[in-house]
Amino acid sequence: MQSPVKIWRNQKNIAALVGKTGTIISWTIVRVPPGDFTDQAPYPVVLIEMEDGKHVTCQMVDYDVSDLSVGQRVITIVRRVTHPDADGVIPYGIKAKPLV
Amino acid sequence: MKLFVTGAATTKFGELWNASPRGLARHAVFEALKDAETLPSSVEALFVGNMLSGMLGGQEHLGAFFAEELGLTVPAFKVEGACASGGLALHNAVNSLLSGQYTTVAVLGIEKMTDHKPEDVATALMGAGSEEERSAGATFPGLYAILARVHMREFGTTEEDLAAVAVKNHLHASLNPNAQFHNTLTVEQVMKSSRIADPLKLLDCSPISDGAAAVILSIHKTQRGVELSASAVATDTLGLAQRKDLTQLAATRDASQKAYAIAGVTEADIDVAEVHDCFTIAEVLAMEDLGFFPKGKAAAAIAQGKTTVGNGKHVVVNPSGGLKGCGHPVGATGVKQIVELVDQLRGIAGKRQVSGARVGLAHNVGGSGATAVIHILKK
Repeated sequence: MQSPVKIWRNQKNIAALVGKTGTIISWTIVRVPPGDFTDQAPYPVVLIEMEDGKHVTCQMVDYDVSDLSVGQRVITIVRRVTHPDADGVIPYGIKAKPLV
Repeated sequence: MKLFVTGAATTKFGELWNASPRGLARHAVFEALKDAETLPSSVEALFVGNMLSGMLGGQEHLGAFFAEELGLTVPAFKVEGACASGGLALHNAVNSLLSGQYTTVAVLGIEKMTDHKPEDVATALMGAGSEEERSAGATFPGLYAILARVHMREFGTTEEDLAAVAVKNHLHASLNPNAQFHNTLTVEQVMKSSRIADPLKLLDCSPISDGAAAVILSIHKTQRGVELSASAVATDTLGLAQRKDLTQLAATRDASQKAYAIAGVTEADIDVAEVHDCFTIAEVLAMEDLGFFPKGKAAAAIAQGKTTVGNGKHVVVNPSGGLKGCGHPVGATGVKQIVELVDQLRGIAGKRQVSGARVGLAHNVGGSGATAVIHILKK
């Protein structure tokens, strides 16, 4: 369940992850999504290894099909995650796009 | 102290639109009591394994809820551990007997999923994952697809190899009257089914199911009782991103090593295993992490029929049909696995009987491997 307090508390985590580069270590295309994501499907979800060795799971955007491959370099960006709920606070999060 | 499963029963698994959770619970527990040749008044405590009743049905407080339905006023507990809720409920029941608190208890695993649309079920199931995975819009098929791709890359596992797991488990399910599916499959049918989360297809995935299973567990040996010789649990990180090694589920390895030591057996002693094949790749991982096959060798062995009923020598895996063929009402699965093993060790499993089965293993997983529960039963 979304909550403005939770979204606010999560902001610092987003700031720490944005603008980092890494490579795809595995990926999938979600074709049957959770309820909040129905208007976005199908979409890729990638597991990335960042330069510092940490792994992150996130959605991939602004991609060509050929970018979906193990070893593809990506950069993390801030994007809207799902629709705002009745409180009107927009949930933002980290996504990845190909590094060109 | 020795413990015995004295009674065991399941409802049919499937899309049971006419059945309520109350009715399913009553059926499973009263049949298990009948099987144990005992009365409800012998039950000193009730352990309920369930994951989604709160998120999907709006009903929590399941211990008292089901105790009321069964006409009991004994101590009653809900145990939640995602899709390992049933196995975890049994583990807690075991501990309660070993502590000396009770002498006979009932364990109920139950889930009612098909009252709700698939998107809502997918959202609720993601409660078992990490916050990061939920923000990514990941689903459980998606997370296991990520594990599948790593395994395929590392060991040359193919989509056809994975499909062979579903083919085997549907064959077994066709011999199980309580299974959700009775149709057999071909590799080609699996390969042509619609894509859910690439490379996993619809027929690589266990279904959304309703069902309940129950066992009566006691310190008193009965004539038909089957010894429960080990119950072990291990955990790992909730999210895949925090794992060191994506070619295995470390919790499965850790819990099984503990269980083998407690039961005084090795993987070579296991005649029949019910493992957590929520997706075809999950059975491949389980075969390797339980020690039945070396890393990277399980998929080809499954495809060659080495774990199919009637194979003659090697461990037979998922004679019930597994989660794929028998169905996967998530809280019920871990208890249903025990019911199947009890039938197998008593030699009453009919057409899917594993001949000469003396030692059985149940492997129940929560999330993408954050919880693993292993039980070992002996004839």
